[in-house]
Amino acid sequence: MVQQQPVHAAPTSEAELVLRIRDLHTYFYTVVGVAKALNGVNLDIPYGKVLGIVGESGCGKSVTALSAMRLVLPPGRIVKGEILLNRIRREGDTYTVLDEVNITDLDPRGHEIRSIRGREIAMIFQEPMTSLNPSYTVGNQIVEAILLHQDVSKEEARDRAINILRRVELPNAEAVVDRYPHELSGGMRQRAMIAMALSCTPSLLIADEPTTALDVTTEAEILDLMRELQAQMGMTIVFITHNLGVVAQMCDQVAVMYLGRVVESAPVDDIFYDPQHPYTQALLRSIPRIGSRTKKRLEPIRGVVPDPYADIRGCPFHDRCSACMPGICDVRVPAMSVLPGKVGHEVRCFLHSDAYEGDDGHVA
Amino acid sequence: MLNYIIRRAGYALVTLLFVAIVGFLIIELPPGSYLDFRLRELRTLGGDYSVDMIKALEQRYGVNDPVHVKFWKWFSNFVQGDFGWSFQYERDVGELLSARIGYTLMFTLTSLVVSWVISITVGVYSATHRYTLPDYAITLFQFIGLSVPGFLLALVLMIFAQRTLGMEVGGLFSSRFRDAAWSWAKFVDLLGHLWIPIIVIGASGTAWLSRVMRGNLLDVLNMQYVQTARSKGLPERKVIWKHAVRNALHPLVMVFGMSFPAIISGETVISIVLNLPTAGPLFINALLQQDMYLAVTFLMFLAVLLVVGNLVADIVLAWLDPRIQFE
Amino acid sequence: MTEETITPVRAAVAAAEPTSDVGELSQWQLIWLRFRRNKLAMGGMVILAIMYLVVIFAGFLSPNAHDTQNLDYIYGPPDPITFVGPDGKLGLRPYTFATTTVLNQATFKWDFEIDRNTRIPIQFFVRGDTYKILWWQNDLHLMGIAPPDRLYVWGADSLGRDMFARTLVGGQVSMTVGLVGIALTIFLGSVLGTMSGFYGGAIDDAMQRVIEVIQSFPTIPLWAALAAALPNVSENFTMLHRYFLITVILSLVNWTGLARQLRAKVMSYRQADFTSAALVAGASNARIIFVHMLPNAASHIIVVAALAIPGMILGETSLSFLGLGIQPPMVSWGALLRDSQQVSTVVQHPWLILPGIGVVITVLGFSVLGDGLRDAVDPYSI
Ligand SMILES: Nc1ncnc2c1ncn2[C@@H]1O[C@H](COP(=O)(O)OP(=O)(O)O)[C@@H](O)[C@H]1O
Ligand SMILES: [Mg+2]
Repeated sequence: MVQQQPVHAAPTSEAELVLRIRDLHTYFYTVVGVAKALNGVNLDIPYGKVLGIVGESGCGKSVTALSAMRLVLPPGRIVKGEILLNRIRREGDTYTVLDEVNITDLDPRGHEIRSIRGREIAMIFQEPMTSLNPSYTVGNQIVEAILLHQDVSKEEARDRAINILRRVELPNAEAVVDRYPHELSGGMRQRAMIAMALSCTPSLLIADEPTTALDVTTEAEILDLMRELQAQMGMTIVFITHNLGVVAQMCDQVAVMYLGRVVESAPVDDIFYDPQHPYTQALLRSIPRIGSRTKKRLEPIRGVVPDPYADIRGCPFHDRCSACMPGICDVRVPAMSVLPGKVGHEVRCFLHSDAYEGDDGHVA
Repeated sequence: MLNYIIRRAGYALVTLLFVAIVGFLIIELPPGSYLDFRLRELRTLGGDYSVDMIKALEQRYGVNDPVHVKFWKWFSNFVQGDFGWSFQYERDVGELLSARIGYTLMFTLTSLVVSWVISITVGVYSATHRYTLPDYAITLFQFIGLSVPGFLLALVLMIFAQRTLGMEVGGLFSSRFRDAAWSWAKFVDLLGHLWIPIIVIGASGTAWLSRVMRGNLLDVLNMQYVQTARSKGLPERKVIWKHAVRNALHPLVMVFGMSFPAIISGETVISIVLNLPTAGPLFINALLQQDMYLAVTFLMFLAVLLVVGNLVADIVLAWLDPRIQFE
Repeated sequence: MTEETITPVRAAVAAAEPTSDVGELSQWQLIWLRFRRNKLAMGGMVILAIMYLVVIFAGFLSPNAHDTQNLDYIYGPPDPITFVGPDGKLGLRPYTFATTTVLNQATFKWDFEIDRNTRIPIQFFVRGDTYKILWWQNDLHLMGIAPPDRLYVWGADSLGRDMFARTLVGGQVSMTVGLVGIALTIFLGSVLGTMSGFYGGAIDDAMQRVIEVIQSFPTIPLWAALAAALPNVSENFTMLHRYFLITVILSLVNWTGLARQLRAKVMSYRQADFTSAALVAGASNARIIFVHMLPNAASHIIVVAALAIPGMILGETSLSFLGLGIQPPMVSWGALLRDSQQVSTVVQHPWLILPGIGVVITVLGFSVLGDGLRDAVDPYSI
């Protein structure tokens, strides 16, 4: 097994970022009200690294990913914010930024975003059982993606599809290419999905809980595979999960989300050994740690995630927070601030900084 | 696959046998058939001719035989194409029906094709334009289409055509062409008469099918694989038609077996109003006159169509949907 | 050790417990809440309620009795109604015009001509023909004109009978056929479907074959063939008998759909926890079926039933239109529409198809109601 070296170096210049998400607000205008799924998400996705996004279910992880692909469907809408994509060309160790696109400006059905989807940003979904079309063979669906973005003949595309299936370690790729999804197991389907996502060598791969629906053994295999591929291809991955164990195995940098905001962002070791936000700390206390010597109790997080329709005053976590400071935390929303003396460790909590967000969502 | 087809066909045959029993029961149902009436009439008439006739009829239908023999006689004749005698028209049922079944098939098949094409297009449109004004309008039309009995629609259209447009719409030809030899003008006249029946016959089926299609497609559009297709960068048109519609068609094929007889069902009544030379009016008239062999033969014909239609739907579905197992 | 593993589980259970009052609503309250939000379905329900009231009070609401013949007004056209009085001013009192008959020199038939100069005031709460609402006999009508004239808002038929009155009275048959039929359908469908799903095996096989055979016939022709076997109305086979048997025929075909769906439901319930729990507790089969399974399937049954009513009403209408259903002197919408089978007649007297309005509104009402119920019961299926 390849041992992952934790990378502490934070991105130093914007050129090293594949994607920057700035103050992203995505709302769903449903019949029962407005669901504010994202309330100002900020994310930097450094080139060649694995960024983990963690948080309880419903905190907006998938919506963030879908927003970046412009795949949020009505009644959902990006109401504010920017998603800036650097189109990067890599030659050896040096990479040059070709141009920068603001994805939020694009027509969600237009030609430009479609040339980004699949080619620049590819995505893997949670449900391997339903993410492949049951009516077409695996090969058909991969070839379709290749033909869409690459100027090759059908035969060539098929060969590439078989190659990429081999690459994801599917046994007997020549046969699998002609199989229908229902003829494959969940793990094999997820491999096929990964193959499809990688078929056009995207600069960014978003994996939305790719292993949540799989059993533990298959999960481990798929994680191994993804790590290997990442090491070989130097790919940038956004890895969405609610499983902190997976984060520890996979990620370089971690963003913890709560109710549509990033509340803490840090290199992976800092998240585990020096968590600063009470929510991150609570998350860590709620999972069992193998090998932890202290017989500490597992503590579930108090209360439940408020629903995104609710209008909460103050810090969204304050009513579940054990360190809540009445009169402060329930009045204003804390702003993201850099922890002094740390590299790339930011936290959104009044315990660390008095900075708060103004009514217009900007840092006051 | 072949095994699957053979097994399905076997089921269909068994069903048809039971269908035949039901058909026979309907013939035998009180208040008796025209046959009894005819026999009674002949008996009171008396005379050699009558006696011969009675003998021949009794022989042919096994009047005095026990029920199962009688059934068998009728059934074996039926299978061999001898459908019985129409007492009302004094003609062979087979002859009578074959003259009209062609028209029935022409009208229903054309309506079926037209209604499928419209349903799929309209269904796709309204599912992809949900909550827009056209979608609401389509929904309204669908509900109205489902609520207006075909014969009423036919009546309204005829009144409208005749009173407002001064057009004569019943029948297949205008009166001046009715007995004329075939010519281009006659053909054009025929086409002019075809569209009203086709619209009327297809209306409720179209309303229903397009609603089914809309619902199916909405279900499919929520599927993950549709998002996958979009995430590859496919244009929306291709996402809809290649990835979504294809999967939304399966349930539609399943109801194909039902939609054809439903259309014939409606046609039976509509033809009476529109004065079409199809088998429907013959059937209803036969029922009113207790001319049971004629009526039941038509009923059986429809049942066979339905069973065969379902068989075809099963096979098409197996071919369309790779998930169907041929166990 | 044990403590460590138990705590999160207990917490998870606690977290799963309803915290908002949404969780305290019963299944039926939730269905009703969702149903009420559906304006179309609510509209359908209101319209149906009005329609039922109208046909119940048919005698009072129509100016004439439905069977009063008026040989002077054969195929008489609808009386126009105006709110412009004799003084030329718009007012509250409605007027109609006098009608005279003139001999058409071309066709040698009597034509009706409306005399736009002679206004006849329409009066309210007038005495006229006697009628019955259930067992209550009366002769008070909502509106009418001074005798010997009669008011025909929807014209008259071949015997000079009031089409409006006939349509309302016809509704009494047409709008109940569906209800009685659906009651029979629910009864047959739930008993047979539940048995089939619960016992399985040979019973189930037999039932499935029967259903398959019945479903192998197209509905209207099969209904027609069965109805043709009914005797004509006579001394010992009254109109009521015929009415009832027609509903039986309609439900004889219709129960199969419900039975199929219930069978599937019951089969899934057989594996459900509450069934095993009840079995362990020693409940009898009947108890399991009636106390556990049917109540669980009740919402489902209601939806299937509501969606089947339009088909029954259309079925009765078609049968009666063909002369195989309700027969005179009983009236139903289909039986009334039979008068328009001759296209030449309807083209001259288009008001003969006015009973069709009743059919369309009622069926439309039940369709949107059924649709709304389905969405309310099962919001995720379309
Ligand atoms: N299609 C939708 N309609 C309405 N609300 C939605 C929709 N999709 C997501 N949301 C809202 O956005 C919130 C975030 O969802 P999501 O990003 O899927 O959570 P997760 O972090 O589990 O991936 C959810 O709580 C939900 O209320
Ligand atoms: Mg998610």
